[in-house]
Amino acid sequence: MAWHNTWTLTRKDLAEFRHQKLVLGSIIAMPLVLGVIMPLFMFYPLTSLAPTQPTWDVTGLQEYGTLPDTFTAPYTNHTQMNTQAHATTITNTTLIHMTLTNCVLISCIIQDSTLTNSTVAYSVLTESSCVDTILTTSQGTNLSGRHIIADHSDLTFIAIKPSETQLVFPTILNLILIIFIIIPATLPTIIASYSIVGEKNNRSLEPLLATPITDGELLTGKIFSSLIPSMGSTLLAFTLGVSLLDILLLPKIAMPLLPNLTWLLSMLVLAPTACLMSILGCIIVSSKVSDVRAAQQVGGFIVMPVVVLMLGVLSGFILLSPLTVLAFTGIYLGIDLVLFYFAKAIFNREEILTKWK
Amino acid sequence: MITCTGLSKHFGSIHAIDDFTVDIPTGQIFGLLGPNGAGKTTTMRMLCCLLRPTKGTAHIDSYDITKLADAHKIRGMIGFLPEVPGLYETLGAYQNLDYYAQFYNVPKPQRQESIKKTLDDLDLWNRRSEPVGGFSKGMKQKIAIARALIHDPPYLFLDEPTASLDPQAAKLVRDYILDLKTQGTTILINTHNLTEAERICDQVALIKNTLIKVGNPKHLEHSIFARTIAVTVDHIPPTLPQTITSLPGVTLNKIQDTTLYLSVKNPSDDNPRIIDWLSSQGIKITFITEEEHTLEDVYLKLLGTPQGG
Repeated sequence: MAWHNTWTLTRKDLAEFRHQKLVLGSIIAMPLVLGVIMPLFMFYPLTSLAPTQPTWDVTGLQEYGTLPDTFTAPYTNHTQMNTQAHATTITNTTLIHMTLTNCVLISCIIQDSTLTNSTVAYSVLTESSCVDTILTTSQGTNLSGRHIIADHSDLTFIAIKPSETQLVFPTILNLILIIFIIIPATLPTIIASYSIVGEKNNRSLEPLLATPITDGELLTGKIFSSLIPSMGSTLLAFTLGVSLLDILLLPKIAMPLLPNLTWLLSMLVLAPTACLMSILGCIIVSSKVSDVRAAQQVGGFIVMPVVVLMLGVLSGFILLSPLTVLAFTGIYLGIDLVLFYFAKAIFNREEILTKWK
Repeated sequence: MITCTGLSKHFGSIHAIDDFTVDIPTGQIFGLLGPNGAGKTTTMRMLCCLLRPTKGTAHIDSYDITKLADAHKIRGMIGFLPEVPGLYETLGAYQNLDYYAQFYNVPKPQRQESIKKTLDDLDLWNRRSEPVGGFSKGMKQKIAIARALIHDPPYLFLDEPTASLDPQAAKLVRDYILDLKTQGTTILINTHNLTEAERICDQVALIKNTLIKVGNPKHLEHSIFARTIAVTVDHIPPTLPQTITSLPGVTLNKIQDTTLYLSVKNPSDDNPRIIDWLSSQGIKITFITEEEHTLEDVYLKLLGTPQGG
């Protein structure tokens, strides 16, 4: 394959795009609106709901009063370790690595244990988990658990209960990332549809096919002429969008700056393969239909695998991680290879010249 | 040299061209003539390796148009002007020519020089950057012809090269084609313009879904029509139509005023005998000329229908 011919065709197409208002407008406007303006306008107002400091809390914690100043460490005269107790009242005991269910514990020192449906009074707890438990006049550190009623106690937890906005923001950021993958998958439906149908409509395909350019060179040239503007404008929008997120949004919600590894992989490997898939689909469609609009409409279906990813992420079925991104890259790449060979196989000069009216 | 052997192309039940067999010697201008739908463009597209023949083959030099590897080489040595210029309308004339020159691997200095010379010749150098979409049909056609020639091909295929040109531009293109012939370029032209074909073609092929007749335009005229001379005399005796039949090989076609239209088989022998005979009858000849037949007459006689445009 002569890359020289491929590159010449690509440069020719890019020069033509500079004069196509629809194509040029799409290349500039779509990434700017979807990737930069929309995320900021949609999500910036949510930052006012997000606390700047993470809250130290557990699910279902209810606290009444504070620990009285008269509280002193409990007196214990024996120790129980590494066993279970059920429906038992235990007093003045040091309990280490115990599992306690439906128990009443008075004046105990409890370490590294799990308490369920129990009541604790005048005790000290460390590094334990409490579920559906009442703590009264007790002190606890490094606790975890849920549904705790704390009456005149002083408890600190190791588990963080995130705020509602903090629960929502990772999903929102995933949505923004998906948008950055959808942009290069959608742009080619406008650009690539012009690639062959546009040449045919201008009647410029016949003299082009009479030159020494091969089918492979022609298809590759058309691929690059759609890939370069689509990915170029997406990466520019990505750089701008992420910079603005880092400056305006993320510090307000106490989240780490972007891009992280998932985002980088998404942009550098997943987005190009999604873009390529869309381009190849459009080229296949546009080599079979004789109208640019028809090519664009049918070409719209090509972004379905990207929509699947989007729905998967939004529904929580797919978690975006470097591994997921690489897995989807592999899937898309496989589809790309199949589509390329299919496009080459069905590209029929004779049919294009004689059946297109 | 282009050799077509039984070249045929069928689209389902439609036989666009059947059994087309001709030889086009190197350096000749060869015209394909025929009504619309006669298979001219299909034949040209097959020779340009844009369509695959259903039957038969053609060779350009030693390359076979039916072989994929040869087709690539053939495309590199031909220039092709389609029926519609098919220029990139948003690009300038210079860019249009430059991109095509690159497809043919013309080195940069050579293509810059060649494009400048071509656009200078076409008086378009000062408008080289303007989008060609704003140019007239004639100017676009000239640029498209320049595009076909940008890599200096030994074989040139022109589909209706002067169809949309005004008389001056058409003459410019015809002169250009004749000039290319002197440089050894072999040129195949599809045209409806019979006067043009007669003027510039060394050979023409009359086709109507198959080859009807091929040959030099003049030879075709002479082979199809007997040579006719028009002899204007001072008077015509009433008995002349009968007495003139005594001259062997001479046929009286018609008499118009004092002009006799005579068909002769061998002008070099028959003409002196006619002159001598008329003198011997006391008839004075005031003017003698050959009645010309045109390629159009040949076309109408062989293909039967007037030009479809």
